[in-house]
Amino acid sequence: MNFGFVIPTGSRASKEVDVAIIGGGPAGLSAGIYATRAGLNAIIIDKGNAGGLAEEAPYVENYLGYKGIKGEELVKKFKEHAVDYLEISERNEVREIIKEEGTYLIKAEKGDYRARAIIFATGTTHKNLGIPGEKEFFGKGVSYCVTCDGYFFRGKKVALIGGGNSGAIAAIYLKDIGVEPIVLEYMPRFMCEKAYENIIKERGIPYHTNVQVTSIEGSETGEKVVYKDRATGEVKEVEVDGVFIYVGLIPISGLAKSLGVETDEKGYIKVDLKMRTNVPYIYAAGDVTGYAGQIIIAAGQGAMAALSAYEDLMLK
Amino acid sequence: MGYIRDEDKKYLKGEFDKHLREEVKLLVFVGDDCQYCNVASDIAKEVAELHPLIKFEEHRIGDALANEYGLERAPTVVITDGDMYGGRIRYVGLPSGYEFSSLIEDIVDVSRRSAEVSPEVMEKLKKIDKPVLIQVFVTPTCPYCPRAVRTAHRFAIINPNVTGEMVEANEFPDWADRWKVMSVPHIIINEDVQFIGAYPDEQYIDYVVQAYEKIK
Repeated sequence: MNFGFVIPTGSRASKEVDVAIIGGGPAGLSAGIYATRAGLNAIIIDKGNAGGLAEEAPYVENYLGYKGIKGEELVKKFKEHAVDYLEISERNEVREIIKEEGTYLIKAEKGDYRARAIIFATGTTHKNLGIPGEKEFFGKGVSYCVTCDGYFFRGKKVALIGGGNSGAIAAIYLKDIGVEPIVLEYMPRFMCEKAYENIIKERGIPYHTNVQVTSIEGSETGEKVVYKDRATGEVKEVEVDGVFIYVGLIPISGLAKSLGVETDEKGYIKVDLKMRTNVPYIYAAGDVTGYAGQIIIAAGQGAMAALSAYEDLMLK
Repeated sequence: MGYIRDEDKKYLKGEFDKHLREEVKLLVFVGDDCQYCNVASDIAKEVAELHPLIKFEEHRIGDALANEYGLERAPTVVITDGDMYGGRIRYVGLPSGYEFSSLIEDIVDVSRRSAEVSPEVMEKLKKIDKPVLIQVFVTPTCPYCPRAVRTAHRFAIINPNVTGEMVEANEFPDWADRWKVMSVPHIIINEDVQFIGAYPDEQYIDYVVQAYEKIK
């Protein structure tokens, strides 16, 4: 058994910094390293554990230098690297940001921080499907996190709604720990990388395409998933012990919006190629910008945002 | 070689040097037919070796102290000063994976004899004058769970009527089944009020108050 110890970081003192990085996923951690190396005094503030959604990825097979690594382990390496440079304040939710003359006052759970610039690396969270039964059976068979809850379904059958990369990885992980997943994908084709498609086929994981899930039904727990075959219109159902939902992500951009930062219609923060937003001294990086939702891209964007902050704060 | 990696030990030592103030006892209650009891003791010993203010003690389920604290399952890890916190800040099952970070943060808070909550939460928490047991079912691979565990433990540090108990669901499947735990963190207060998810203090305390109102 691998006990995989996770070490907490961050003190609880209020402080003044050049740049506050909100969110400690790959974008935020990378921004922290670049900002500090450039000479900026920075802090990373995260409402949970540093790591972001990457922590939930059972496997990562497309980050340069790693042929295959658990998301949790990759993030641990990122975090260990970043913590050599700057404070990462975990379990410290930012409640409010107030613009004051020349600075921002960031009011968080563990203290107040004053910053000249802010990088929003707030990421995304799981999207709900919005079908009957989803809310009612949440925690009673419906889940959004296979690494958290997969073990409760060992030896049982579950529906995995959404066959994109996250859903495909989740299905493979479930199969590996002894769960029998069946993937239900809305589009008429495999929506994950070819590499995952191959594994799904190799392991004999059923992957149904062109189906629209319409409800989750049951008495005490979610016991049945009802779906429509989009080609024929036929309504079908599958009996399961649990349902995992991986139908996409929504950006966490409320705080940025409160400062006048522009977002697109879906709520993703609009940035230029240098990760600047429409508001001076505010930058965004990572999944909250709506790019590919890839760890390597988030890390690159974080670096870019930090370099832009350095340019604006120190070279102008 | 121990369970905790050398570089992690080095980091933890630094954190303990910075933050620890007073003595902290790390009590591990072991029992018979217990798969992870030795591991729990070994991990606690390794942590205790990192700082002179952390004292490790091994006890047994069924002994006087276990009975005084109302502990029934092994391994149970208790973090305490002895008197003030008694057996109210505890982990039933191994605090591994993400929960190891909860354990470290608890050690710091217990050593400082304080935990932080907002004034609004403090006001509600202080009113609780009857015993409240907060049980938080987790899995070690759940990144959201430590937040829920730490909230229960912080409440227990602040209010002597509150007991915060992490339960590792994989190690106690029958117990988890009894409460139909299928998603974690799953929080059960006084074996009555339940909720699922890592909520902020402000919402969490309202569930605690709800359970307290029922016994008041």
